Amino acid sequence: MSNSTRSSPPPLPPYTGPGSPQDVPPLPGSSPLDPATLPEPIRDELLAPDPVAIDTSSDELKDGLNRCPKCGASDIRHKPGSDLLICLYCRNEWHGARVEEEFGLGIGLDELSGTVIASGARDIAADAASLMTFKCTGCGAEVTVNTDNAMTARCHWCRHVFGVNEQVDNGAVPDAVLPFHIRKDDAVARIRQFVDKRRFFALKAFKEQFTPENVVGVYLPYMIVDGKASADIAGKGEIQTRRYTKGSGDDKKTYYDADVYRVERHVDFTVDDLPLESSTERGNLDTRVNTNNIINTILPFDTKNAVKWNASYLSGFSSEKRNTDVQHLIPRMEDQLLSIARAQVEDSVERYGRGVRWEQERLDVHGTRWVSMYLPVWLYSYHQPGSNGGMLHYIAVNGRTGETMGSVPVQQWKLLLTAITVGTFLEGIALWIVGTSS
Amino acid sequence: MSDDSGLWLLLLGPAGATGLYWGLYRYYRNTDKSHAFERETVVDAKPVTGSDQKIGQITGTRETEIDGNNVQSYRKRVKRLESDTG
Ligand SMILES: [Zn+2]
Ligand SMILES: [Zn+2]
Repeated sequence: MSNSTRSSPPPLPPYTGPGSPQDVPPLPGSSPLDPATLPEPIRDELLAPDPVAIDTSSDELKDGLNRCPKCGASDIRHKPGSDLLICLYCRNEWHGARVEEEFGLGIGLDELSGTVIASGARDIAADAASLMTFKCTGCGAEVTVNTDNAMTARCHWCRHVFGVNEQVDNGAVPDAVLPFHIRKDDAVARIRQFVDKRRFFALKAFKEQFTPENVVGVYLPYMIVDGKASADIAGKGEIQTRRYTKGSGDDKKTYYDADVYRVERHVDFTVDDLPLESSTERGNLDTRVNTNNIINTILPFDTKNAVKWNASYLSGFSSEKRNTDVQHLIPRMEDQLLSIARAQVEDSVERYGRGVRWEQERLDVHGTRWVSMYLPVWLYSYHQPGSNGGMLHYIAVNGRTGETMGSVPVQQWKLLLTAITVGTFLEGIALWIVGTSS
Repeated sequence: MSDDSGLWLLLLGPAGATGLYWGLYRYYRNTDKSHAFERETVVDAKPVTGSDQKIGQITGTRETEIDGNNVQSYRKRVKRLESDTG
């Protein structure tokens, strides 16, 4: 019965529309709140610096094998903070081949035609098994890799490391992988900094259990799309011709005259490396039931530096499997191409000072190229108990750029109390003004 | 009338409380964030072409902008016309 005495928070914002991840996100650094007007502890939180994203660029890369090219050992790991592979037996280091050059992905955007699908982005076979078994050449034992969450496994008997490297038709093996650059301790520091800025109203249990050291490095599946398209957009725009007031004193009202135009725009464009989540779960950005929009926010990645698939890069990290085919992602790609087109034509309608109401839009996709890629993300998660299984909150760090975003569960009563207190204070001022002016 | 403007002022408390609640809520939960692909994707666009044709006039409106202004709401889809190329 304690629920009935507790004041309930305002309802969550809808899945679509203003304030949802389907709305155009605010510019970095912009905030709906003016810190200057807020109480000091809140102001300090808001003004504290954000985690800094670093810029990474990679050297040119050479060809890579799964066995050490020098000594033939199979115990190969990704060297943290680089795109290198390292042999744990002889400490030999080497690069994987960049897919950008290997597959010619950076060129020919303007000549794209039809739907080009890289081999790792082919449709997932319906009967694809998650478990793959290897017979160890060292000792004859059977080693199983569960491709739902891992791409490598070690033989318990002779320590050979097995990786899923052939592109079997189960959709588990992507075309390319972008290795982690941000090390774990760096990710931990960024997550700590992010949460330190959000402690005042954070859920008490979250603060008590906060252990950023539990962050997990995960390779998440994406489709990286190049496209060539044209868009036509039509609507109405208004230009103000006159502004005047009628009446006097408190009854004074402003009126406008305007010219109305029929506005049509056409734009031809190419996009390079548009990333789309290729796991159904990760692509669902409904903020009422999950916080996947947090992971979406840390896009983009420097996908130009991705290397040809090599399971050795995944040793020690977990991974999530793709479960969406190109066909299913086309509507989302087209939606994003239309949004990009609308952003592109904005400058051309500046003269319409009273704005433009776009009413019709059309997209012609001339060609697309799809590459399946694993992208590196550090994920810290906290499960907030509640109805319908509660909510899983993520704090995510881009494994390449360090861009950090998170969802911190809120102590509702404390936030409500503060809001009501400030509201009461403002109401007092309002009452005072009304009282003295009448 | 002074009564009118005074009553309007009384919304200051509730509006301030709601604004602060949502501002802070979003600061913690970031439900409004997503990948800004419109400005963070490498887009190579040819010059925009088009036409502008005057079709009418409005006189004496009190609205400060066109009804349904969506020039910056890139993700708000409007009626989609079929494409030639399918
Ligand atoms: Zn070696
Ligand atoms: Zn073995």
